[in-house]
Amino acid sequence: MSAVPSPVATLAVPSSTEIPAPLLPLLSSLSSFFMTIQHLFNRIPGSPIIVRYIKSSYQNDPWRSLLEVLLLAFAIRTVLKGRTRGEGEGKSFIKLTDKEIDELVDEWQPMPLVDEPSEVDNFTLQTVPTIYGPNGLKVKTSPNGKTVMNLATPNWCGFIESEKMKEVAIDTLKHYGVGTCGPSGFYGTIDIHQKCEADLANFLGTEASIIYSQSFALVSSVIPAFAKRGDIIVADRGVNFGIHKGLQISRSQIKWYAHGDMKDLERVLQNVERERKRKGGKLTKKFIVAEGIFENDGMMLDLPKVIELKKKYKYRLILDECQSFGMIGAHGRGLTEHYGVPATEVDMLLGSMSNGLATGGGFCAGSSVVCSHQRINSSASVFSASLPAMLATTASAAVDILKSQPSLMASLHSNVLLFRQQLAKLEPVIPNLTPPSPGSSAAQSDSALMPPPPVPNKDAIISIPSHPSSGLIHIFLLNPPETMVEEESLLQEVVDEVMNTSSILITRARRLRGQEVFEPEPSLKICISGAMSKKDVEFAGKALKAALIKICGSEFPSRSVTYP
Amino acid sequence: MPRTTRRSAGSAASGSSTPPSSLSSSPPSRPLFPAISLRSSSPSSPSKPLSSGTEPPVSARSSLLNVLTRPHHSAPITAVSTTTASAGSDASISDEDSSFYSDQSTISSYASSIVSGTSSRFTSSEDIAKVYENYLEKPFVQTKSTIKHSEFGHDNNPNWRWTSQWHTDEPIHPAEEPQPSYFVLLNTYISYILLILIGHMRDFFGKRFRPADYAHLMPQNGYAALNSDFDSFYTRRLKQRLEDCFARPVTGVPGRTIVCFDRTSVDQNKTFQMTGSTTRALNVSSYNYLGFASSTGGCADAVETCIKKYGVSSAGPRHDASTLDLHVQTENLVAKFVGMDSAMVVSMGYATNSTTIPALVGKGCLVISDEFNHASIRFGLRLSGASLRCFKHNDMHDLERLLREVISQGQPRTHRPWKKILVIVEGLYSMEGSLVPLPILIDLKRRYKFYLYVDEAHSIGAMGPHGRGVCDYFGVDPREVDILMGTFTKSFGAAGGYIAGSKAVIDRLRLRSHATAYAEPVSPPVLTQIIASMGSIMGVAPPLAAPAEDDRSDAMSISSRPTAYGPASSSILPPWMKLPLNLLNGTEGRERLRRLAFNSRYLSTGLRKLGFIVYGHRDSPIIPLLIYHPGKMPWFSQMMLDRIGADKTPIVVVVVAYPATPLITSRVRFCLSASHTKNDIDQILRASDEVGDVLGLKYGKQTMSVEEVIANAEELVAANF
Repeated sequence: MSAVPSPVATLAVPSSTEIPAPLLPLLSSLSSFFMTIQHLFNRIPGSPIIVRYIKSSYQNDPWRSLLEVLLLAFAIRTVLKGRTRGEGEGKSFIKLTDKEIDELVDEWQPMPLVDEPSEVDNFTLQTVPTIYGPNGLKVKTSPNGKTVMNLATPNWCGFIESEKMKEVAIDTLKHYGVGTCGPSGFYGTIDIHQKCEADLANFLGTEASIIYSQSFALVSSVIPAFAKRGDIIVADRGVNFGIHKGLQISRSQIKWYAHGDMKDLERVLQNVERERKRKGGKLTKKFIVAEGIFENDGMMLDLPKVIELKKKYKYRLILDECQSFGMIGAHGRGLTEHYGVPATEVDMLLGSMSNGLATGGGFCAGSSVVCSHQRINSSASVFSASLPAMLATTASAAVDILKSQPSLMASLHSNVLLFRQQLAKLEPVIPNLTPPSPGSSAAQSDSALMPPPPVPNKDAIISIPSHPSSGLIHIFLLNPPETMVEEESLLQEVVDEVMNTSSILITRARRLRGQEVFEPEPSLKICISGAMSKKDVEFAGKALKAALIKICGSEFPSRSVTYP
Repeated sequence: MPRTTRRSAGSAASGSSTPPSSLSSSPPSRPLFPAISLRSSSPSSPSKPLSSGTEPPVSARSSLLNVLTRPHHSAPITAVSTTTASAGSDASISDEDSSFYSDQSTISSYASSIVSGTSSRFTSSEDIAKVYENYLEKPFVQTKSTIKHSEFGHDNNPNWRWTSQWHTDEPIHPAEEPQPSYFVLLNTYISYILLILIGHMRDFFGKRFRPADYAHLMPQNGYAALNSDFDSFYTRRLKQRLEDCFARPVTGVPGRTIVCFDRTSVDQNKTFQMTGSTTRALNVSSYNYLGFASSTGGCADAVETCIKKYGVSSAGPRHDASTLDLHVQTENLVAKFVGMDSAMVVSMGYATNSTTIPALVGKGCLVISDEFNHASIRFGLRLSGASLRCFKHNDMHDLERLLREVISQGQPRTHRPWKKILVIVEGLYSMEGSLVPLPILIDLKRRYKFYLYVDEAHSIGAMGPHGRGVCDYFGVDPREVDILMGTFTKSFGAAGGYIAGSKAVIDRLRLRSHATAYAEPVSPPVLTQIIASMGSIMGVAPPLAAPAEDDRSDAMSISSRPTAYGPASSSILPPWMKLPLNLLNGTEGRERLRRLAFNSRYLSTGLRKLGFIVYGHRDSPIIPLLIYHPGKMPWFSQMMLDRIGADKTPIVVVVVAYPATPLITSRVRFCLSASHTKNDIDQILRASDEVGDVLGLKYGKQTMSVEEVIANAEELVAANF
């Protein structure tokens, strides 16, 4: 732009007539200088166009030209300005000399990368058991120790020990090796992945499915793949940690409803609707996020009601069935089978192959639009290596077993009931735990949890909110000690007691205290397997009951926290 | 071919045994690793007659070689030379299985050496095609190896080996990235503009005339559209044109070769129809750096034993009751492998980053991240709530400027000092092939007191004389880095990832990482694959040498501890795991490392000589070749698969474009592997040459013809540019 004023300036020089003599040589040199510049400028190809443009835009209005120059300067500044946020020159930026910066750099002492472990931390780490040898129903917790009964690992149908699956895995190994060495986009899509996806979709009755290489990363990636900034998500307050992380990443507007409370859900949905009407604006995507069996307490979602509400208020449902898939329903298809709802009613149905099928990875089932969208937009699917081949083939094999052997599920559910019966006397309201007649409808088994006569139980020390057909059972203390730390340590005593007296391995529910959005209450976590014998289940239930009564039964006055 | 003995780089460093009697015709040299038989490298080796016809006068070549080959041991990094020396002495375990290696070299030159041993280069293309008919499955020479040639190529010529190690006088980055002419850039921009215009036109008319096809982009029935029209524009209108290059379904082991299912599309790549036939192709797409993706061999046998013993799953979260002894063993081994105190394994590489970073930093902390860091790091950062600043890719000046700014300014608005600053970089960038300038970064770290997190997803196993990643490559003590993260997917042919660091850090992470409390653990067969492959890279010390369980003598302070990467003690491995001898003594692992190093350097240099614009470091096994023009991407992929060259060997490549790379620098990415033979690399060079000529991809200046490059492979690798 430096050349722009030249035509104007050269015109201006001769027009002035009365010039003091001493200035003349100066002016003449100036004018020759401008002439040279003009000459040079004219030699630039296209310069007449620029001159013409400036002339036509000038139109005897200097303000207009000024505005254009300013606009241009602004554009240049914008282009040159750094793109990262907060780079220099903010309002609060303080200009410092190099010396000052050096001093500040010398002075600055960072905090240690990690804090010193506290007593609680050490306690947590020390109480993590190590299994020596294979995991399963009977495990060893020391290299040469005795075998203990394992009620801490999800193994709903005993697939961990399944010989059939081992055979399939070895067969896969001989054809495919172990790793896939690539993300699914770059030669990591093996035929058996496609088969596994087809098998899962076929099993659930959805149009398609997509598999992920880890079930924890699944939900935290699926939610942000669909829900973006400005969208609305209505979520249950009791959802698991992975969902919380997905909600956080999505940057959507999150509305919570009380855990398991369908009335509250409806209230929230109505509020959203009202607000939308009031504000108007563009139609945004709306999602309901919930779990089938809640990982944090084993409660079951009232799926038919949710589906009814979702349809009424035009929401899409993201249902995390990572616990319930392979555990609930006559063939383990999860909640949809339990309630007799077609799986196509759920927009995104997430399941875990590591819990339900004892292999690894997770999947999202839904329409083909939903699934193919994730192949490009879901971060954990795009940027991660695909699932090892043998985990996919064994998942297919497990699905086949589930399909052909409904007895597995029946056995699991009767084991769960048997176990719950042992503990029923300790619950505040003794639940009606009669086994549902075969082929009973969902409504019947549901009413089982809500017995008509609410007899208050004076000896109650625990509450079990878990659904009576859920293999995942959480046991909460009714009258917990004051602090969570004390409560955790009390529960650990129960765990140790059961281990020492009856050789049964159970666990406290492990939490990430301080990182949870809503801190879940401490609880004991029991996983019942359908492969366990009736005798074992009964024995385990009785042993746990005895331990609970021994440790928590009496009033525990000022029990001091002790760390082993 | 010159038959002067050019042993591996830096080989003269070690002071060990093998008598140099058989190496008479060349300057006296002693091998770095005596366990590897060097007998075949002698000029009187039985394989020589095959290629003797093409042999130029030895003297001229060898004198050139002497000029080109700098002895690496003279590099003035004391740490590195002690390392090699100590590793050399550690490695003197066994020589007895050297008979395992065939003494025959695999033939390299195109047709001449194969057909009849004549020197004729004018064989007709039919002859070549005939010779190469079974090329991918049958080696040209007989071998005793149990691993299939299609999974791991047999290449026993010891001249085709290199050691991946930093030469202090070789710049870590070229001063300037090579640039194409402005014409190419302009062309590229114009193509994108055209594609976008046409895309919008198609959308405009499509929405009016074929609304059914756009239903999923429109609000319907009271539901907002699932995909936004705008967000999916790139996918629908640009990516779909090259859809055939992505997610090609394959079967079998992703080893040296891979079997692709052939497919066609009749509706412009919206759907694909399988033709039912398959194509076996040379695989330069999988991250199989050390060739451990294999369905046969020692690792696979160990995995089979494991499946019989453990099954395939250990089910629930680690902290409940799913920590197996195998997990503990793997973690100990990984810690030893990378040279850290402690390590933790996670069942998914992506989740390793995304669940660990939030456990390390939070509000009031600052993370400084390289602009090209992987999506998993960005995902983890968003979860953590820490502030984020980015610096220009690998630009240490920019990083220093940024560090001075953020330390002096403190937190925005409040000006309080940052609680801690964590710099996150990757060891080897998967799209750029560039290495992090670690020595400079360590210097900056000392000055500015930030914590350093190095993501070695691609570099672990693939870089460094011992395969221990970038620290090993640069001769930097790994304990200078606070956190080393890596994955098992790539070099080890398994799945999952690890975090390694000091014991305090890892213990803290075990408590706070999302993965331990909620995610599934690594499955036992995968753990076994990790242990077996990692153990075979390290070598396993005989039981007698195992230190006592409570012996902490190797956990010395940083100052007193050289970066020595010793073998794993046999007590770390599970007692039931029986590895064959060549894996156990580390010869196989070392051989793989050196093959990978040669292959990487050869292809990277060769492509540059052919006039392509290639990014990245010459020692990087990831070699991005720049295409720029979006229209050329599907052609490149297709032409590599349907070769026009005489040998007709199909090659599968990965083409990458926006958003994985900046918009204009579309590229094809070769991922090399130790399983590739030199002949394979020759084929890739020939194929690239053909395609490059047809598509006009040689944006730089071609200084050698492809046959020249192939004939001078060893010199090119050894030369220092």
